[in-house]
Amino acid sequence: MTDLAPPVDAAPAASTAPPPPPGPRRRRRWPRTAVFGLIFVAPAALYVVIFQLVPVIYGAVLSFTEYSPLSRSGPEFTGLDNYADLFTDADFGNALLVTGRYVLQVLPLTVVLALGLAILVNRPFRGVGLFRSALYVPHIVSLTAVSMVWLWMYSQTGLFNEILGWFGLPGQSWLLSADSALNAVSAMRIWKALGSNMVLLLAGLQSIPRELYEAAKVDGAGRWATFRYVTLPGLRPMLVYVVAMDIIYLAQGFAEIYVLTQGGPLDSTTTVNYLIYTEAFQYNQLGSASAMAFVLFAFIVGFSVLAVRGVSGRKAS
Amino acid sequence: MDVPTFRTPGRRRRAHLLATGVGITLAVALAGCAAPGGSDGGDDLSLSVWFPGTNPDEQKLVNDTIVPAFEAETGADVTVTFVDWGDISTKLNSAFAAGTAPDVFGHGPAAAADFVANDRILSLDEDVAALSQEDRDDLAAALPGGQVDGTQYLMPLSLQGYLVMYDADAFTAAGLDPETPPATWEEAREAAEALTERDAGGTITRSGLLLPSQALARQQSFATLLAGAGGSLVNDEGTAATFAGDEGVDALDFFAGLYSGDDAVSAGLGEDYLNAPAAQQPLVQGTAAMTVQSSSGMEKIRAAAPDKDLRVAPALGFDGHDPAAFGGAGPGLMINADTDHADLAWEFITYLLSPEVSTQYTQGIGAIPVRASAAESEYAQNSPVISMFLSQTDRFVANPNVVGWTQVRDALDSSIERALNGTPSQEALDTAAAEADDVLEANG
Repeated sequence: MTDLAPPVDAAPAASTAPPPPPGPRRRRRWPRTAVFGLIFVAPAALYVVIFQLVPVIYGAVLSFTEYSPLSRSGPEFTGLDNYADLFTDADFGNALLVTGRYVLQVLPLTVVLALGLAILVNRPFRGVGLFRSALYVPHIVSLTAVSMVWLWMYSQTGLFNEILGWFGLPGQSWLLSADSALNAVSAMRIWKALGSNMVLLLAGLQSIPRELYEAAKVDGAGRWATFRYVTLPGLRPMLVYVVAMDIIYLAQGFAEIYVLTQGGPLDSTTTVNYLIYTEAFQYNQLGSASAMAFVLFAFIVGFSVLAVRGVSGRKAS
Repeated sequence: MDVPTFRTPGRRRRAHLLATGVGITLAVALAGCAAPGGSDGGDDLSLSVWFPGTNPDEQKLVNDTIVPAFEAETGADVTVTFVDWGDISTKLNSAFAAGTAPDVFGHGPAAAADFVANDRILSLDEDVAALSQEDRDDLAAALPGGQVDGTQYLMPLSLQGYLVMYDADAFTAAGLDPETPPATWEEAREAAEALTERDAGGTITRSGLLLPSQALARQQSFATLLAGAGGSLVNDEGTAATFAGDEGVDALDFFAGLYSGDDAVSAGLGEDYLNAPAAQQPLVQGTAAMTVQSSSGMEKIRAAAPDKDLRVAPALGFDGHDPAAFGGAGPGLMINADTDHADLAWEFITYLLSPEVSTQYTQGIGAIPVRASAAESEYAQNSPVISMFLSQTDRFVANPNVVGWTQVRDALDSSIERALNGTPSQEALDTAAAEADDVLEANG
């Protein structure tokens, strides 16, 4: 093999020398490992491009069009009309409020309760493994299946009204009243999210060095001071992760709404994601549904940044 | 100087390896994109069919009996897919967009107009005209429900309707005569007040009368009451809403009045009893004395409570108006405009609608037969429920087949919900009518 490149320690060529005649450019040879690396990466890369990147880009394009999947003519470009219409769309405004309320009433409870449970199961006691597993089970079961079970529990003849009956209390219309439906859905969602949050926070707790607790003890720190100045700062990275992920999942709430309330009563549980579903698949308005999806995306980003700032106590990156 | 060639054997091998790897990956990835459904046109006797709904009885009957018999008779290869009602529109729309829609598919009559507006289904006028006069007469009650602007696009497989089922023993206990059930909605309300039971706290423990009040079904309940008051949902041209007139207000006031005030006769506003398991039906559990039900629902209720004397009342109207009820053509089949097998598709539909198979099909799912002659069948003769429904077919009123109906229906449904929760009926209906007019105008 001919080495056309100068040695690294060679002096620069004299400027008076005429430039060498242009010859065929030598292509850089790919190492064998790089070739195989590319081959192995290709499936995952193609998956990301075909099933994630392209749909997102296509969705963004659709948001500037009017398009029904039944139409033979394809999408028609309408500029920013879909986005402009959202500003005056009362249904979309209501859906944003419902989504915000849903996130705000589920998130704090699910994080605080999960933290309490994580602290509880971080101690050695008989049956702790079983206890941890039992709390984690709801996370394993699909949200749709769980929602079906809760649908029955909330029904007029369901478990909750049966329990009320034991105490001589009248049954409630949990999912049929606009005042209680979102709260009822939220209760189910808190129960569902507790297990996974607890496991994550437990991992966070166990990653805090024991030495810090011992030092705090030596310094005479009480329980609250230890929690405030050792546990919470140590948990911050995991808390930030838990809060951000919860916001993302909650703001995209759909399955539980679809199964439990179908957005009712009186649109009191119509989240943005549910509205997107009806717009896209019941009314065939894929353009405006796509615009809603991107506004929801911005909403989630904004919400997450605010929450992460609050939890981490500094600017979110 | 020994300048290397661009492609050395080693590089060529690696390039081939890379190209092969990428090729295989692409092939695997794209293979996943190939969706089933639709016929490739290469086999003249293959047919793909999507049925709406996942009724186990229907699946068993179609898969084990009807389709094998059709295949044996014609040599065709029919692939049947049952799609949940909640997903049928979504999946059909996606399939049409992807070019993989089935040759034949089922849906409710109200969906036909949107498919027509997008040139997705075939006109069946010529095929229907080729049927014998006897067949056309026999199907006369069902055919109009499958028409859009007077053209046949959907062939109903059954009729549907909603009538009042009542507990005769409860009537007797309340001093009412079960032999003469209410003939008007006013009489039904009066009977319901006598039949309603409350606990010491005043909470209703047995509803006198229940009309479906959950999402979408409440629109059908309203349609029943509106028709019984002499009103209509849209004008004859399908260009403007007409449900916000006096008839609509009276109908909605009546509906809302069932649930409100000290003399309410219905409990569980918004609860979906229609789709509850038979054993949990209010009539079976004794938590209602009269409920509006479909024919198949009534058959299941009777089977779940064989000891109860449950009877069906004819369609009701308000005083001075003809009796009417929501109903008419039920779900039916349409032919994809892009199919390569239109003749075979029509043959499949006519096979399903042949007198014997049609009766077998409707009996299997507990539906109202689509042919008038089925009234003489053993199925109808042995079932007081089906007999009653068949006798009322001329009183059934369907939702209009107009483009954009889904949006109109949902706007109306939301307004009905608001009225049931306290909004004045006129205000609620005016809001819905304005929205409906916009939709109808936008859809031409």
